[in-house]
Amino acid sequence: MLIDRTHRKWFVGSAVALAVATAVYIPYALRAPQGPRGGSALGLTYGIAGFLFMLFAGLLGLRKKFPVWRIGRAQSWMRGHLWFGLLSFPLILFHGGFHFGGTLTRMLMWLFVFVWVSGILGAALQHFMPRFQTAQLPMETIYEQIDRVRGQLAEEAGQLVEETCSALEGEVSRASERQRAMSASAGTQGGLTVASGLQANQQVSTQLRQFLDEEMRPYLERAGAHAMRLGQTTQAQKMFQQFRVLLPPELHSNLDDLENICEEKRQLDKQSRLHKILHGWLLVHIPLSYALLLLGAVHAVVALKF
Amino acid sequence: MLRRTRTTKKLAKRIDLQYFARPHSFRRWRFWLSVAVPVIALTWFIAQRAQGGQKVYSSGQLSHAHAVFTQQCTLCHVVQAGAFTAHVTDQACLTCHDAPIHHANQTFTPECAVCHVEHKGAMLLHATADAACTQCHADLRTHDGQPHYAAAISSFDKTHPEFAGLRSGKADPGTVRLNHYVHLQPNLTGPNNTRVQMTCEDCHRSVSTAASPYEAAEMHPAAATNATPRRPHDQAYLPPPEFAQHCAACHTLQFDKRFGNDQVPHDKPEGVHAFLMKRFGEYIAAHPAAVHEVERRDRQLPGKDSVVRVARNAAEWVKFHVDDAEWLLYAKTCKQCHTLKATSDPHPEVVKSNITARWLSHADFDHHAHRMMSCTSCHTRAPDSRETADVLLPGIPTCQQCHHPQGPAKEAAEGRCFECHQYHDWTKAKPTKGGFTIQQLRGDAKVPAPKE
Repeated sequence: MLIDRTHRKWFVGSAVALAVATAVYIPYALRAPQGPRGGSALGLTYGIAGFLFMLFAGLLGLRKKFPVWRIGRAQSWMRGHLWFGLLSFPLILFHGGFHFGGTLTRMLMWLFVFVWVSGILGAALQHFMPRFQTAQLPMETIYEQIDRVRGQLAEEAGQLVEETCSALEGEVSRASERQRAMSASAGTQGGLTVASGLQANQQVSTQLRQFLDEEMRPYLERAGAHAMRLGQTTQAQKMFQQFRVLLPPELHSNLDDLENICEEKRQLDKQSRLHKILHGWLLVHIPLSYALLLLGAVHAVVALKF
Repeated sequence: MLRRTRTTKKLAKRIDLQYFARPHSFRRWRFWLSVAVPVIALTWFIAQRAQGGQKVYSSGQLSHAHAVFTQQCTLCHVVQAGAFTAHVTDQACLTCHDAPIHHANQTFTPECAVCHVEHKGAMLLHATADAACTQCHADLRTHDGQPHYAAAISSFDKTHPEFAGLRSGKADPGTVRLNHYVHLQPNLTGPNNTRVQMTCEDCHRSVSTAASPYEAAEMHPAAATNATPRRPHDQAYLPPPEFAQHCAACHTLQFDKRFGNDQVPHDKPEGVHAFLMKRFGEYIAAHPAAVHEVERRDRQLPGKDSVVRVARNAAEWVKFHVDDAEWLLYAKTCKQCHTLKATSDPHPEVVKSNITARWLSHADFDHHAHRMMSCTSCHTRAPDSRETADVLLPGIPTCQQCHHPQGPAKEAAEGRCFECHQYHDWTKAKPTKGGFTIQQLRGDAKVPAPKE
């Protein structure tokens, strides 16, 4: 989610709310006989407000489960999640008077710290990384389809290699006919030259198939595989350059396609890494948020009792 | 030349259109973690609850005094029958602490927990915040509408008034003539005509410390202290100097050369008179011939006629000599320190010494806690004081040199109100009767619900 000018109202609203909360908190903290407490009227107010904000932020998950519900735009919910979630942390700090308290409340505060920090990190990542990805990964695809696309790439590479080898071998059979004709008319001298050319093409074809089986297919089929030679752009370029020397120019376009397939695979690997970074924080943020809401509810009930 | 092209159509063909219906591993992880983590959190909570009882709900460590009750929340959080809440009420505190209120005419009585906040860590509960006091004392109001004390005290370092004894027009009410300046001079004549240099500790020392070098073992005067220390610390206050302990070795009370160094007791005039009658009676009984001896006074008694009186019998002899001895005592010896008032009786009245044992009647002070300092570093006026009326109590600015409301945070000594003042008037406290068992206090047995 891009945090841009369209967030101005949310930003101003949150800043004003925080300023008001702080302005109320400071004299309260200074005048309270034994310092600010969660159980005081104002402390409870901060606690209730903070918990409601947390609850709203937590409802985003539910809202996403039911996108057809007509309860506000998804974008508004997302912004509310971001800004209310951000605001809830200082409110809860005001609620506890910047103390982490006892066993349960300490656990809650640490959960909240992790949730809040991971949320901020996530928001920052969501702000910067999509643009970075667009610029860096022109061949990106749907993350969940990377495995499938990788298989397609391997298949495509196999077809290209087969096509190239067939072309090379087709040339060999045509040359064989030429050789026989030339041998009959002009003796054996020219036949030797043609025979050595035929042998070379046969070798290149074998090498290309070997390259496909030993280097390219394993690289394309395995996720990641950065350590392999094709995973490194420069090394891959050198390998393809060697084949360019060996192959006739009319088959260079096939090599370009193969090189392009490897480049796409590298980009898919990079996309996969970036995706894990871009979304990995959710594996911390969401489960801890649920735990926080659950224990927060327990704390609310217990606090009212005691 | 590159033959591969990335058209939308080609790209679309690559994608499995039902991919979103099949959960990807990342989503699976997210789902299972979202289930597992709250379950772990709940399990942790249940385990804590099972292990430590209600302790898990505690909003913080209990104070030093109450830490032992950590496992038994219901001691303070009393659950009333039919009620959901278990807030701490004053009644729960008063079960163990009969803490009387501050003043009868205070307009507002805070709840115990307002000042003594629990669950704030291993701290001392009496270490209350200044705000607990200043919520009233910053703008003091009373039931009778007339505050008898300073009405606007908001902090020790800014608005605390000067000690009452040092306010203008105040004088030491003591009647014993004592010249601090003279007593601190070098080469004073001490016991047995030795030369001494007295120090403050020679006269001002706590009851528990070693005996004064100027103590006279044979003297047994009646205790004359009006000190009523609030704290059971026997070194907190310095009791007023006593004649037998601090004066008698130098200020001897000889009364007649016949008795050598024998002294009259440091007692009321009636007691002294009885003593003299007895001693002279015993003497004349042992020396009956002395009745008719004409003896000349070896020195003129001030204000006394110099006529030599001759006794006709032993009783008269005793009377004459007791008369002379008393004249000597009351005209010189006693008068040196005491204020004597003539009465219709034959003996003068010795005005009550009225030595102030405790200058800070509304505050506690502990000399023992200040023992690392020289006396004169606080009592700066003492070495030059020549008059009994001089009040030698150090002023608030002296205290403020070390004490600050923020205490250690300001690299200073504690300066909050509780350091010197007490809210509860413990003189009105009544004894409380404990009813809990050790098992109940330690959480091993249930505390019975209060009776309605």
